Amino acid sequence: MNKIKITLLILTILISSIFAAGCWNYREVDKLAIVAGVAVDKGINGQYKVTVEVVQISGAKDSKITSKTITMEGKTMFDAVRNEISLSGKKLYWSHAKVIILSKEIASEGVTRVIDWYNRDSETRADVHILISEGASAKEILSSQATTEEIKSFVLDEMIKNQESLSKAPIIDMLQFDNDLKAKGISAIAPAVNLKQMDGKMLPHIMGTAIFKEDKLVGFLNGEDTKDLIFIKNKVKGGLLIEGTQGNDVSTPVSLEIFKSKTQVRPVVDGNNIEMNLNIDTTVNIDEIDGPENFIDDEGRMKLEQSAENTLKERIESLIMKIQSEYDLDIFGFGAKLREDNTQEWNRVSSNWEETFKNLKVNVITKVHIRNSAMLSKPLEKGE
Amino acid sequence: MFRKIKKIEPGISKNRNENNNCIRTINLNKSIVNNILLFKNIFKDDDTLIIREFENKCLKSAQCCIIYLDGMVNTESINMNILQPVLGSDLSNDIASDNLLEELKKKVIVSNNVILETEINKMVSSIILGDTLFLLEGYDKALIISSKNWKTRPISEPDSSRVVRGPREGFTESIMENLSLVRRKIRNPDLKFKFKEIGERTHTRTCICYIEGLALEGILSELEQRLGEITIDGIIDSGYIQELIKDAPYSPFETVGSSERPDVIAAKLLEGRIALFVDGSPFVLTVPYLVVENFQASEDYYNNYIFATMNRLIRGFTAVTSITIPALFLSVVTYHQEMLPTPLLLSISASRQGVPVPTSVSLFLMLFVFDVLREVGTRMPSPIGQAVNIVGTLVLGQAAVEARLVSAPVVIITALTGIETLINMNFIGATIIFRNFLLLGASFLGVYGFFMCFIVLYLHLMSIRSFGVPYMMSVTKAKNHEGQDAWIRAPWWTMTLRPKIVGTKNLVRQSPRKGKEN
Repeated sequence: MNKIKITLLILTILISSIFAAGCWNYREVDKLAIVAGVAVDKGINGQYKVTVEVVQISGAKDSKITSKTITMEGKTMFDAVRNEISLSGKKLYWSHAKVIILSKEIASEGVTRVIDWYNRDSETRADVHILISEGASAKEILSSQATTEEIKSFVLDEMIKNQESLSKAPIIDMLQFDNDLKAKGISAIAPAVNLKQMDGKMLPHIMGTAIFKEDKLVGFLNGEDTKDLIFIKNKVKGGLLIEGTQGNDVSTPVSLEIFKSKTQVRPVVDGNNIEMNLNIDTTVNIDEIDGPENFIDDEGRMKLEQSAENTLKERIESLIMKIQSEYDLDIFGFGAKLREDNTQEWNRVSSNWEETFKNLKVNVITKVHIRNSAMLSKPLEKGE
Repeated sequence: MFRKIKKIEPGISKNRNENNNCIRTINLNKSIVNNILLFKNIFKDDDTLIIREFENKCLKSAQCCIIYLDGMVNTESINMNILQPVLGSDLSNDIASDNLLEELKKKVIVSNNVILETEINKMVSSIILGDTLFLLEGYDKALIISSKNWKTRPISEPDSSRVVRGPREGFTESIMENLSLVRRKIRNPDLKFKFKEIGERTHTRTCICYIEGLALEGILSELEQRLGEITIDGIIDSGYIQELIKDAPYSPFETVGSSERPDVIAAKLLEGRIALFVDGSPFVLTVPYLVVENFQASEDYYNNYIFATMNRLIRGFTAVTSITIPALFLSVVTYHQEMLPTPLLLSISASRQGVPVPTSVSLFLMLFVFDVLREVGTRMPSPIGQAVNIVGTLVLGQAAVEARLVSAPVVIITALTGIETLINMNFIGATIIFRNFLLLGASFLGVYGFFMCFIVLYLHLMSIRSFGVPYMMSVTKAKNHEGQDAWIRAPWWTMTLRPKIVGTKNLVRQSPRKGKEN
């Protein structure tokens, strides 16, 4: 009798836990409409115009993987997404979506209404890359032609991922964007995307940064400024430093490839005065010397390092000045850093952080180390 | 059902006892004619019984008779060592002796083993075993003269476990030869052999073999007790006994080990295990048997220990994956597509285009087909082997995919699982049963169902014991020396102690090497 009771108990627990196992159901992979990317535009009457790129697999042997875009409208995001069933018949499968593109208009009105559904739904994932369309509509970017792969969203995804060795656009996924949006002492940023004409084709082109005030788009930074921004945010993994093109100490154009870079931000509180110390330590190698000047010996190398340090310092200082004067938005996360390091001081200034940020003094110290000169030890010299 | 059988049992044994008693009650007569008649009666309708009557050339009163079974004896030896001396020698001097039979035994018969016997039961069983019975007029006793010589298979490398490096001899069907193979490896009087006849009708000889001072008495007496409880009519192979004495009788996992290799049995005896030889079976049983022994190949101990460790890890890994891979694949592909990398999802999706059979059904189907092919491969006569290969690979693999009956990943998973199953032949039955069990769970509930069934499997393994020793012992313990011979095969110089529990009585296997101890 006791045994029966125990068996019944175990069975009850097992059966009831089946219903507690979350969201799942049996579906065959070939029945899924796999969403590769999504673009959100403003439609008529304040509706959303949602365009999804769906992966299309045709033919079993020698199968061809292509994509098609479906556009639908709705009062809310989810409404628009569900209206898609009436167009294609298949339920969209969101877990493998790579990019979400928001048009400038939507972003300017505030992104919360758009991304709330994306964060809330169980099938969508927070590792999707977010993009803000600068010129063209989001749909145009998703329907543009791709150079390498058939599926545009995957191309865009690759483009964002490989920004690591270019550093002209920030790499921001939904999770990071949400965090920045909600966190205090930091303003959200997102990479910007444009259409560029090449050989008669319109190709997507990721460069620059979109700046948000709370959840509303307020402006864009260009690619070069973005690189400096990434320097300050200590996210530099690669990219180039160009010397000798803007009349610096060095007259020969030189390309320096960034190996690694470390930025330390240290708030210094002195009474009521807050200052930020920015320490940038970058290791580079010489990858290109467009002239006979010798940078290999100690003297030349020191000169080049010195020049690179000065250029970097000037550019970073000017970017901070520009942001302070034009936007008064703490996209660098100085406030968040202060909150980490000195909570009391942050509590004092947090209510008026924007004003404090505007007048914040930032001391920039840059250090550039040249490690090697790649495969050549000497500058190429002309033959006698 | 079992209770019913128990109720009937006493009745059966009663019958059997009556049979035995009717022989035992009769004793030998002093008249040789009567005695011959008696044996003729016992071996009625057995035409292989040969009765040869003769007398000494000098002493007519010495009427003799030998009785043996044709085909079981060495006739040449009987002619040379019994008939010739008894017929030819001059027995007239010994007539004075009041015990001629004793004199014959002492002086005339040339044989290494002659026993004076009075019990008719033993005489009968000796004749059956191939000995010759010698009767003499005027005596109610008889001589049993050893003359066994039946045909046995020569010692050869066992097909079930071949090695590249290591001894190439294997057990045969003859118990005495098998014992000699082990005896030759362990030359020590502490190696004990205890015979016991099992099988009410077959009287199969079995032999418990152990090393005194290493084997635990508790396990030994438990084994003897379990063997004593067997009341089956016949033992044809050691598999009968294996099943009759095993712990967890409903489990597909074996808790009694078996091996065809003398080196394996010798090594297990040295670890403190107990071996059971069964006449007529080249498979010798060992107890206690733990799960790790499934993964220990004899070659591990003869090869380089790093290589051996690698091989053992492969065996352990495939043992787990051969059970889990189909279920995991199914649950990820049909329930948790978000867990797949995007390119993989796309290629799996592409391969499933136009396939009408659901993934779960096609997995069950293909695994069933593989099992059919495997069974055909073991059962069919070898000349037809090629046909099975062609049918298996071409028709069922390639053609099924091309005809869009199943998708290519399913075929790959099936092939992978099937090959992995064959690595661990020791528990192939359990693998197949639990693989389908997990697959069933996964097809209904995805990863959740998979883990639910996997936990059942794990708890089951944890609950089994083999002769008092936990079955999963050494798998779960890596402390001290217990893990030395489980997942890895430690170098010989570090294995100074025997496996615990099994060899608790005398743990020290070797003294630590100088300079190596720490």
